[in-house]
Parts: sequence; structure tokens; C-alpha cells
Amino acid sequence: MRQVRALPVVGAFAERLLADDLPDLSAPRRREVVAFVARRVDSMPSFTRFGVLAIGSVFRVVMALPAGWTIAKLLMALPLPFVGEYPRLTRSLAVAYVWEHWPHTTPSGGTPTGSAVA
Amino acid sequence: MIAARATTSMDADVLVIGSGAGGATTAAILAEAGLDVLVVEEGDWVEQGSVVPFSLGQMDQQYRAGGVTVAIGMPSIAYTEGRCAGGGTEVNSGLYWRPPGELLERWRRDFRIADFDPDEVLSIADEVEQAISVRTMPGPHTAPSDVLKRGADRLGWNNGEIPRWMTYPHPDQPLRGERQSMTRTYLPRAVAAGARIAVGCRVDRLVRSSERANAAVTTLADGSPGRITFRHVFVCGGAIQTPALLQRSGIRGHIGRTLAVHPTVKLAARFADELNVPDDVPVHQVKEFAPHLSFGGSASNPGLVALSLLDEWRSFRSAVTDWPRMSVYYAAITSEGLGRVTSVPGLRDPIVTYRLSRRDRDTLRSGLGRLALLMLEAGADTVFPSFRGAPAVHTRRDLGTMQQAFSASKATVMTVHLCSTVPMGEHPDRCGADSFGRVHGQRNIYVNDASLLPTAPGVNPQASVMAFAIRNARRFVAGGTHG
Repeated sequence: MRQVRALPVVGAFAERLLADDLPDLSAPRRREVVAFVARRVDSMPSFTRFGVLAIGSVFRVVMALPAGWTIAKLLMALPLPFVGEYPRLTRSLAVAYVWEHWPHTTPSGGTPTGSAVA
Repeated sequence: MIAARATTSMDADVLVIGSGAGGATTAAILAEAGLDVLVVEEGDWVEQGSVVPFSLGQMDQQYRAGGVTVAIGMPSIAYTEGRCAGGGTEVNSGLYWRPPGELLERWRRDFRIADFDPDEVLSIADEVEQAISVRTMPGPHTAPSDVLKRGADRLGWNNGEIPRWMTYPHPDQPLRGERQSMTRTYLPRAVAAGARIAVGCRVDRLVRSSERANAAVTTLADGSPGRITFRHVFVCGGAIQTPALLQRSGIRGHIGRTLAVHPTVKLAARFADELNVPDDVPVHQVKEFAPHLSFGGSASNPGLVALSLLDEWRSFRSAVTDWPRMSVYYAAITSEGLGRVTSVPGLRDPIVTYRLSRRDRDTLRSGLGRLALLMLEAGADTVFPSFRGAPAVHTRRDLGTMQQAFSASKATVMTVHLCSTVPMGEHPDRCGADSFGRVHGQRNIYVNDASLLPTAPGVNPQASVMAFAIRNARRFVAGGTHG
């Protein structure tokens, strides 16, 4: 059975979440991190992956609405079982990748003064 | 590399599925007894030193699903499984704990394990320790390891250095130790005795008629289907994959119903001076409250330090640039809760669930509090607990606030020790395999890995796994059932 790829489902959400959490992360780095997040979702065990993509699809629809990101943030703030795991998973993968690959990244995602963006 | 790529059609007298602590030792004992042994491994053979330990790159190459695996629950518990030649022995910390004698006695009694002599198991543990070079570090310990010792000593808590399966070719450089994992020890032994190892081969199910299995249906790394015929099979895929394979093969009973783990909660501690060691873990552990609660150190590369701050990112993120002065530590509990591994038709992977008991939640809370105290005593200027809503802890006065704010459901709970999904013994209501690992109701299907351990041992289980696997493989040879 052909597998639905994760990037079209989770990509926009991950990109927006990163822009919020790490506003100074450069666009090329952000794209690299988003691609990594999608690859990891693609390699998840089938049931977990199905759950992540199901919740990701809901967020994708929400984000297509006017003021979609505001609604998505409200959704993330609700203590809903499993729904909260989705942004948590995305953040975990992203943060681990950013600081493993660029350990001198600033807390806002920027490059320390004097360093070149990779 | 002493392994070959799997092919579409293979056969053997004895098929060993999985090449970790259980599979590698099983293969060595059976091959040395003159049996025709084929070991199949789903992952690749990855040479030590070719990947950075505890990195995302290692997770890509040597862990199942890139290390992103979870037991669903409230809270869900993240776990990892090795998926490479050598299994978990290639990727874990290499810390070695032989099974406590009183625990072996309790297992024998409660699970009615026949012909089970704890002294025999401990004698096998002696052999294992020789074979994999279990020893303490030469020279000084790392600073993150000394933190555990210093804090525990100040509190008067029992602590010590845990030996590892390592050799140290350069004694003055203990961080350049060479892990004596299965690809360095038991797998070469098996091959020297005539065993074959085939990598890139997932076993989808066993083909059974009545009480016997005679073939395995496989999928190779390139997606092509394969088949392996055999006379006997040892399933050694670990506590998640072994019950999943048995269930996919139509075997039920006490299979996959009693997953046991050691749940852990974490914190990051920041000190005045640089101490971070990105590619190794502390060798000290604190056992004052064992077996219910233990403290140790985790891998702490910058990515993992950042991860430990994530649950309270808005408050803690400014500390991320201090990672050279930080290290990550854990509190692990022996859980009363249980989990399940369930294969569902149509899904490639099993569904894993786990439920913490009320006592587990309380122990995690008190464990994190005591661990934070230990860090303050060791000289930490700030402790960053890993749960949503956590306050930073600067002094003892903050500990009460932290414990009040803690809830297991808000914490990042993880585990690396998975066991007990096919408990061994003759107890009809508790055991999935007999006293030597043969699956109840089956004549030639054996389990020989962490699944057999009756309960979570409260210490790193791999020494127990190796000792049990060797005992059971020797019984198989001595029993002549292969003839």
C-alpha cells in the first residue's frame, strides 16, 4: 500500500511553529529542520504515524481558515489528550535537530554574532 | 563485516530472529554445539565508530523508526529499540548489572520456573562478564559522573560506579573505550563456529501447521519478499517485536500482555563550570532507594540538553546556550504498571500501550524531587525539571514548589528497558513460554530475549537477558530436541 508522505501534511504546521518558537532561525535552516521532522514522521511505526497524520490533517485544515494560526494556537493550549502531543513531537524533533547541528544557536534561533549561517 | 545481505530463499536447522543480547548469545551457543544456525537481522551491520554515539545520525542508522517510538498512555512513554546487528547492545550505555540473587529466587518461585538455579544463572553471568570484558573505567571519571557521586556522598546516599562492557586500549583516555557489544563478541564467535548472519531481513510471520512452524515469511530491505525454512526457530527480536511476531503468526495466550518497563523522568542541571560530555554517559548511579528508584546520567549532547528544556521552553530557553555547563540526569522507577503489545491485522507495526499505576506516579514525583536535591548538593546553580509548568529550582526551598507542580501526565516520560512480554515459567496464568523459553503449546518455537524476564528487574536487564539466553540455549543443546 502506498504511503501518504508526511511533508505535505505536517510541513506548514512545523514551519509556522518554528517561526513562532525560533523566530531568528534562518529560512534555509528552517526548511532543513522541517524536512527532518517530516522524515522522522515518515519513519514512525504505522499506528503512531497514522495518529500523527490524522491530527496533522486537522491542524492543516484549521490553518487554512482565516486566523487559522490563532485557532491552532488555541487548540494547542487546550488539555486535549493526544492533540497536545502533536506540537510537542514537532518541537522535540526540531529542537533536537537545531542544537545538535548548530550548537551555538541562540535561544531565539539566531546565529551568534560573528558566525556565518550554514 | 561478517554478515551478508539476506536473500529471498534461505534455510537452516535453527533460525535465530534478531541479533541483540538474546539472539547473539543464542547463536553462539548453538553454533558452537555444531548446529546449522542462521541469524537474521532487520537492520544493518554498522561498524562501531562510523556513527557518533547518541546522535540523531545514530538514531537513523541503528534505532527502530529513528528512535521515535512510543507506548501510548496518559502519559505516553517514549521508548527506543535498537534495529541493527547487535541490537540494543550497540546503542545503549553499556552499563552492566548482573541480576540480583534474591530477584532470581523470586522469579523462580512466583513464575514456577522449573530447574532454575539462581547460582547457575550467576555462574553464567561470570562467563558473560569475561566474554564481554565487563570492567570499570581506568583513570578519572567524567565531570557529569562525578556530579552524581558528589551529590550522593554529601547526602550520605548509596552510590557507585557501574562497570561497562568496554575495553580501554588507551588507559589514559578512558573516553576512547571500545564497546564490547554483540558485533565485537558473541556474533563473531557464532560466525567462527559456522553460523551465518543475514542483515536487511524483516520476518513478517512464521508459517505454522498445528504445533510446529516450518518457515518464516520475510521482507528484504529492498521490499522484495522472501522465505526461510527451518527445523527450529528462536525468536529474539526484543520485548516489542517478539510478541508482535508471535501474534502475527497466530500465537496468542500470554503473549504481549505484560510489558514491563523502567519509566524515567529527567532534568537538566547547570553548574558554574563547563562539564558537558556530548558523546558519553556518566558511569555512576545512585542506588539509595533501589530497587524502586534509581538515579543516573543521560546522554547530554547539545540537542539533548535543548530537548530536556523543551517542556517549559518559554521559561527555560534562555539557558540553552549554557549547554557546555549542563548535563541531563534521570530518575528511573521500577513500575507496578503494565503495558501491552498488540498486533493488528493490516498494520505493519504493533500498537504498544502502557499504564502507570498511582504508586508509579507518586514515585516519579518523589524521584524527581530527590534527584533535584542531589543536583543542588552537587553544586548545581539551577535545575530545570522536564515537565510542563515546571519551575526552575535554585535552592532547597524551591523543591516543594516543584513537587507540587509535578504531575506524571505533564512530564516527558521515557524508557530504554523493555521486558516481560512473554514471561517464562510454568505458571498457567502468567507465562507465555515454558521454563526454557519454548512457547507454550508450540513444539519448535522458542523465545530467548528480554521478553522472557518475568518482571522488570530494577536494573539494566541486558546481563539477565544474556545469562537466561545462554542457559536456555544450553538446555536446548543438551536436551537433544534438535536431533
